[in-house]
Amino acid sequence: MRIAAKLLTSCVLSGSILMGLALAAPASADVGQAANGRGEALFNLCTQCHGSAGEGKHNIEAPAIAGLPTWYVTTQLNNFRSGARATHFDDIQGMRMRPMAMSLTGEGDVEAVAAYVGSLPVTYPVATLEGGDAAKGQSAYMLCGSCHGMDGNGSEPQGGPPLAGQSDWYILSQLEKYKAGIRGRDPRDAFGMMMQPMSLTLADEQAMKDVIAHIMTLKPAN
Amino acid sequence: MDWIVQASTFAADVDFAINVIYVLVGFWFFLTFGIFLWLVIAHRAKPGQKAEYLTGDEREPKKFISRAHMLVLVCDVAIVVAAVQVWVQVKQTLPTAPETQTVRIVSQQWAWSFVHPGADGQLDTADDIKTVDELHIELDRPYIYELTSRDVLHDFSVPAFRLKQDSIPGRVITGWFQATVAGIHEIQCAEMCGIGHGLMPGKVVVETPEEHAAWMQSKSGGAMLASASR
Repeated sequence: MRIAAKLLTSCVLSGSILMGLALAAPASADVGQAANGRGEALFNLCTQCHGSAGEGKHNIEAPAIAGLPTWYVTTQLNNFRSGARATHFDDIQGMRMRPMAMSLTGEGDVEAVAAYVGSLPVTYPVATLEGGDAAKGQSAYMLCGSCHGMDGNGSEPQGGPPLAGQSDWYILSQLEKYKAGIRGRDPRDAFGMMMQPMSLTLADEQAMKDVIAHIMTLKPAN
Repeated sequence: MDWIVQASTFAADVDFAINVIYVLVGFWFFLTFGIFLWLVIAHRAKPGQKAEYLTGDEREPKKFISRAHMLVLVCDVAIVVAAVQVWVQVKQTLPTAPETQTVRIVSQQWAWSFVHPGADGQLDTADDIKTVDELHIELDRPYIYELTSRDVLHDFSVPAFRLKQDSIPGRVITGWFQATVAGIHEIQCAEMCGIGHGLMPGKVVVETPEEHAAWMQSKSGGAMLASASR
């Protein structure tokens, strides 16, 4: 009797575990879908400035964000939220972004929208700058490549976001901000602080345009 | 209005003007609707009684309206007198006390930025202190502000000061305030300015002279203030 009872108990337990596993599989898929849907829903706010495909809008100085890696978007959103970015008096564009990041108040909101942004295909912004010499810029880019990748597709361990596929005007504006100390001066923005002295190696606007001209020749990975 | 702290020298005067409006308008509102309700009930439709049509040509039936109208106009004059007194004091008179300082308030989508004078007490000099989100002022000291906008219409509103002033791109609007309660008071944008309008709160930090001197010391030479949170 006792053996029969043990067998029955183990059968019931096994059945329960199997049933639990069977139920858990679709539950995980639901969670994944819900998270994706959540990111897409949150992205609606972003589209107001960054465009429905994350392609950016030059006229309001909102950069292309489609396809940016999740780690980078998460880091920057958290920088905006903490005030490590866009709390300089002259960071006019950054201060437009900061309250938007601060509106992501739910737990996991930042990660969800960052994942959704990362899932969008790169939009290949058109070139807007003139006068850059890509050949000259290629040699200057050797230093940039140590963090941003020689192919311009970024490096998470180095904290360098992809530059290939980014708008040229945005890269120029950020280089100018780094050089002026408007960005990359807050100790909480570790990678920004690494970038700030790097920007000073580009002596003038022509040097920046040259390196950007080279960046525009690089192809995004996705 | 007493449930919001009165934290500036003119807050009580603004509240007085608003209360005058509340009382006078409220009196006529309830009186009018009370009479109207009574008329509707007392002179409701009755069998065999036909409604009387008044053309408005005779003065006698109109006296209940014309005399009340005169009294309403008297109340209007009282409201205008109270409001203009406050308007002149708050909007058209600048403080002249020697200790008055000038600060610059810059609005933009979607943040408030401020320029404080440094130790020399003058703006546009090397020791200016620039901040984002936080305006630091001294308790009981009159301040003149120069309000500008970098992009679109905004409105600098400090409810505790009873201060509300539009900022207009291309214009420098001058006004003043003098804080009477130390602590942190909210700044709101009171003019729809885009999708982030509701997401641009700031704060006025009112400090004792000693606290303010210590804050200036901590910021001297700095070009920015990174607010940790808000």
